[in-house]
Amino acid sequence: MAVLVIPFVIPLFTMVQGSLQGIGWGNYTAVFQLDGLWLYFRNSIIISASTIAMVYFLTMAASFGFSKLRIRNKELFFWLMMGALTMPEVVLLTPLVITASKVGMAGTFWAVIIPLTALQIPFTTLLTRSYVDGIPDALFEAARIDGAGTWRQFWSLLVPLAKPMAVAIVVLVLINSWNAYLLPLVMLGQGSGNQVVTQLTNAFSSQYRVDETKILAGAVVAALPEIVAYITLQRFFERGMAAGAIK
Amino acid sequence: MADSVSNAPKSSLVSHAPATSGSGASQRRRYRTPSGLQWILPGFVVSVGLIYFCIGYSGYISLLPWNWRPGNPETIQGFASYLRAFNSPLFWTSLQHTLVFFIVAYVVQTTMGIIFAAILHSKVYAATLFKVIIFLPVVIAPAIMAPVHRRVFAVDGPINWILQHLGLIQINGLGNRDWVGWLSTALSHIGQGNVTPNWIQPSTSVWVIIAVQIWSSIGMAFILFYAAMGQIDPEMLEAARIDGAGNIRVLLWVVVPNLRPTIVSLAILNAITSLKLFDFPYLITGGGPAHSSEFLGTYIYSELFGVSSHYGYAATLSVLLLILALAVSIIMSVSTREGRPRRKVKGVRV
Repeated sequence: MAVLVIPFVIPLFTMVQGSLQGIGWGNYTAVFQLDGLWLYFRNSIIISASTIAMVYFLTMAASFGFSKLRIRNKELFFWLMMGALTMPEVVLLTPLVITASKVGMAGTFWAVIIPLTALQIPFTTLLTRSYVDGIPDALFEAARIDGAGTWRQFWSLLVPLAKPMAVAIVVLVLINSWNAYLLPLVMLGQGSGNQVVTQLTNAFSSQYRVDETKILAGAVVAALPEIVAYITLQRFFERGMAAGAIK
Repeated sequence: MADSVSNAPKSSLVSHAPATSGSGASQRRRYRTPSGLQWILPGFVVSVGLIYFCIGYSGYISLLPWNWRPGNPETIQGFASYLRAFNSPLFWTSLQHTLVFFIVAYVVQTTMGIIFAAILHSKVYAATLFKVIIFLPVVIAPAIMAPVHRRVFAVDGPINWILQHLGLIQINGLGNRDWVGWLSTALSHIGQGNVTPNWIQPSTSVWVIIAVQIWSSIGMAFILFYAAMGQIDPEMLEAARIDGAGNIRVLLWVVVPNLRPTIVSLAILNAITSLKLFDFPYLITGGGPAHSSEFLGTYIYSELFGVSSHYGYAATLSVLLLILALAVSIIMSVSTREGRPRRKVKGVRV
């Protein structure tokens, strides 16, 4: 086992060891003295939090509708949504770039959040709908007979009952939006103050100068929150990702 | 894992399942079930609206001249840029890379995933530590790890350091790294004589990308297999052992057949990953050198934001990629549908 794990450790080891070469801890000092370091994190937090919130509510509402309410041509709507399930984001790039600049959204967080949300919803809805399908209709009927409206049913029945699904949604969307590279790069541009965590290492490489040790120190700093989050919430991450992978 | 989660709420009230065959009751129920259109609409508009709008727009741009860019006159030229794509060796190269990636990554991920899961299911020392190490690459952003991998595969990087200490690489008179004598003879016998221990070169760069991508996704396969193995009936394993089967036999003949649904869903997951592949090739090799590690994603990106931007051609490539993605999602839906009844039967039996 220990031998099989070696290939996994090499990059992690390289990352830490390389970041301490040259001027040693000075590399980290340089990273922390980077202008607007916190902006990278702030931007990533804004994007991830908004994407998670949007995906969560839109998914819950959609799953509720698809599973428990009456909609004409329900399955048609569902299949239309599932058609977008495997869409690679690069496919949307050309039209998004043109549209975003046309409607004046280029460079705003919305230009990242909305496409990210759009790309997540089909999948999370597929997951959540099949979960909500497993909640007996009788519960909702009983609530209806007792006089609960659709809003009430949503908030007092569906949201608490679908809590296990919330974990999966949050973890999945968190990883996908925090790790997003292409959309922020294209939509927000590379100007300072506009960048996200995944672009942190770019700060130390330019056309003229590539500062390898500082790049690696930057990678450590950028990866650290994820590593800490994963190790402390290990069970949730593994469960969320596994639930996400099995349809 | 997901199975047990989704079955949980069913069990308590399962007898009241909506088996309403009586037409009167069902009609009254339908009458009373409130309409839900407004509930699905927001999510529907954001996702389906945006994505289908983009698809339609891409389709339109793809009919414009291949080198069209915003601001130019929009004259429809028909399918000329599709012909251009089909006649472009680069398109077929990136398609081929995608396919090779899919096959290799799938085989490696499945075998390694099963092996890791099997080892960690038998009680090993420090199992949690190993689990974290294997799964960590799934969590860390590819874009953050890319410079690290560039370092790992650098000429003076750790991979070559290890090979050097294993006695496979020597430093020649010019101070450069080269294969030791017998190895370079062997390489020239298989027609790879000009391959030096520099990994980011045309003949090996695509394999660097494949290796790195596998590194970052084995953890996913492992978690899936680990969960699936936990659901196998222990009595079945015991029975096999009583019949005299050894560890390897139990794994191959009892455990692996039980993992079939996971193996299938891993194939779909991998197909999606291979079509989406962008971050690692873009950031490690940039699709190069000389397009030797180009994938569809990096190809589209370079047409859009390369030296000169060709929006028309990029849109054409996007439409072609989209057709592939759609094919995958149809296969996925079909296999999900087929998978469902089987699972229910299993649920009843248990």
